[in-house]
This record gives sequence, C-alpha cells and structure tokens, in this order.
Amino acid sequence: MKGRSFLILLVFAFVCFSCRNSSNNNSQFVFPEADSVPVGEAEKLSTEAIEEIAKNISSPVEIANLLQSLAVPFSPDYLASSIDANRQTTLFEKAFTLGILGADLGYLNMYEKTGSSIDILSSIRKLAEGIRVGQFFDFETIKRLSLNKSNLDSLLFLSIDSYTQIDKYLRENDRGQLSALMIIGVWIEGQYLATQVMTEYPDPVLRDRIGEQKIILNDLIMLADPYCSRDTEFGVLCKDLQDIKEKYRDIRITYTLGEPVSREVDGALVVEQTETSVVEMTDEQLAGIIDITKNIRNKLIANN
Amino acid sequence: MKKYFILLLVMLSAGLILQGQGTDQLVNTCVMNAGPNCKYLKDFRIQLSKAPAAGELRYKTQMSLWKNTKYKFSMCTADDSKGELILTVKNDANQVVLSSFDPKTGKTYKSVDLVCNRSGIYQLNYDFKDGQQGSGVGVISMVK
Repeated sequence: MKGRSFLILLVFAFVCFSCRNSSNNNSQFVFPEADSVPVGEAEKLSTEAIEEIAKNISSPVEIANLLQSLAVPFSPDYLASSIDANRQTTLFEKAFTLGILGADLGYLNMYEKTGSSIDILSSIRKLAEGIRVGQFFDFETIKRLSLNKSNLDSLLFLSIDSYTQIDKYLRENDRGQLSALMIIGVWIEGQYLATQVMTEYPDPVLRDRIGEQKIILNDLIMLADPYCSRDTEFGVLCKDLQDIKEKYRDIRITYTLGEPVSREVDGALVVEQTETSVVEMTDEQLAGIIDITKNIRNKLIANN
Repeated sequence: MKKYFILLLVMLSAGLILQGQGTDQLVNTCVMNAGPNCKYLKDFRIQLSKAPAAGELRYKTQMSLWKNTKYKFSMCTADDSKGELILTVKNDANQVVLSSFDPKTGKTYKSVDLVCNRSGIYQLNYDFKDGQQGSGVGVISMVK
C-alpha cells in the first residue's frame, strides 16, 4: 500500500514537471550576481517596460535584408573585424561587443557569407561565456550550420534565438544593464552599416530607414537611462546616445492616412497599407548622422 | 523503496528535459513552415487559459515594423488547444491594420502578409478564438 501511494505520488510529480511551460526553462541557472544591479536602480524601469522596449529595436537582419533588396554588394569592410574578444576586460565591453558582433553575424548570415562567420562566432562564444550566458549560445550547431551552408533558415533562427534567450535571461536575473548594452551594441552596428552603405550607395529607401530610426531612439535612451550614473563607461555611452538624439532633433516624420487594403491570394490573406510615413531630412542632417554614428561606433570599439 | 526512489529521480529528470519541448518543437515547425522566401525575425510563445468572458485579445506585445518591408505573421496552434490562435495588429493610433480572423465570414487565416508602408511601433494582440484555452506560437518573418 505504501509502495502504491509512493507510485501515485511519483506519477503525479512526473506529470506536473512535464507539463510546465518552457518560458521558465532557464530558471534553474543561478549565478553569484556580483554584476547585478541594485534593486532600487533597476526599479526605475519595470522589467515589462524594458522587455517591450527591447522588442522595438529593429533586428540587424532587417537592415541587411534591406541592403540586399537594394542590390548593395557585400563588403567585409563594414564589419568590426578588428575586435579581439580576448581584449574585452570589463562586463561593459563584453556585453556591448556582443551586440556589435551580433549585428555583424546577422549581416554575414543574410549575405550567406557563413563560412567567414566562424571567427566572429568564436568571439561571440568567448564574450557570451565572459558574461556567463554561454549556455544559451549553441556554438557547435551554429558553426556546423555555418560551415555546411545547408540550412540558412535554421542558422538565422538559431542565431537570433540565442541572442533573444541571452537578453531574456539577463533581464530576468537583474543584469538588465548588460542586456541594455547588448541591444544598444546591436543597434549602433546596424546603424553604422546602414550609414556607411549610404555614403557609397545612396538610395532614398535607405535614407528613409536611417531617418526613421528617430522612432526608436527614445526607447534606446530609456533603456540605457537607469544605468547612466552607474559608472564612467555607461555615462559616456548615455552622452553618446544623447548626441545622436540631438542630430535627429529636427528630422520630421509625418504620416499620410489611408485604410489598409486586404485581398486573398491563393487562400492566404495579404494586407497592404495605404497609409504611409514620410521622412523629412536634409542632406546636412543626414551627413551629421553619418558622421556621429561613425565616430561613436569607432570610438566604442577603439580599444580593440 | 530504493528502486522507487531511483525511478522517481529518473522520471523527474525526464520530466525536466521534456518540459517545454512541446513549445520549442512548435516554434521550430512554425519557423520552418513560414515559407521559402521568409526570413525569421521574432517569435512570441503564447499560453492562455480560458477567458472568463469574451473581450479584447489578451496577449499584448509590440514590435517595430518598417516601411518598404513585407512581413509574414504566422500563427501555429498546439494540438491540445481548444481554440485557434488569432492575431490583430494595430498601429500607434490604435487602428486595426490587420486581423487573422474575419468575423464576417468566420474564417481564420494561419498566416497574414503585411506590405508595410508606415514605419512605427505596432501593437500585436494574440488570443485563442472565442477566448478559449490554448497554447501556440506567433512567428514574424520578412518576405524577401
């Protein structure tokens, strides 16, 4: 009888554990949090708010996709190849560089230059391990997919998903400042890529995309804001973001109204927006954004 | 007693490993089934109990969408769900841009393409049809 009760308990425990949602998959990882943010500081922006802001930052894959659609050829010159992961000593440098290289990886993957991405992958692994999130980066699988070029879709998914998991884990474990740095790094490198291409291959669509970054710039600043007085490195980054914002100050984004038009194509629904956004940006304003992006990005990776 | 204890340990370990695999498998399938010209951007994993009353779609999130880009919103519902996963996308003025459920015809689309002409931050609202219980995945891809 005692054995039967135990067996029932055993089955019950199995069922309970098996049916839990995967969203808490990583809750069992507990690290000593020497680099965590004091509760009071992190409270300035709720976890939910940070999560929402993080979702708004466009993926570097979108920029790379835009460049491809404009028939811009691939160039390794845009990449931060000078970065040496071994020389990143502070958590700030590691997290920020992780973001920079994440954007570069997205660019390489979209252009299917996956064989060239192995060095970047190795650096990403070192940096991820450096901030103790290496468990979310499935290096071996990503490397295998990169080398055999057989499944770009899986490669893209796994690369982006690894970054999403890292970001989520950091936020949930009071290390939101590292998550913020990573996201800002991704954005700055994506912006650098877009602005550098713009100087070589000017295009109205790319020009608009650069101007439209004004939409998410405030979010980016809000993301960094709780940590601006944390240390000198963060203070400088916050000032840099404010300088970029200043360059965007007089750029206007207006909207023309219109109802979306829906139609069925082969049983699938396709919706086309007739409302549009219009960017009003002078050549001088654009030049100012290109310059400041280049200066800040190069300064931030200069210690490599 | 000892063998039960060992069995308990084995089953608990197996449970922990299996935990979440269902959702992860659904995400993989949903991403890979988006289409040959689609490039994965994001996914949202949704699990909801039955709504006490019919109302607004309950799972709310947001993301930036950019002009001159065609997006595909794919909805995949887990087999054990009572209702099908549906989506409504609203712009920053709270106007509905698209809905995967047509209340006039009662038709639910498993995916919707959006030709985006207005850059901005959009609200994505997910739920299961008629506020039913369910779990599913919403995948957003770019169409090349």
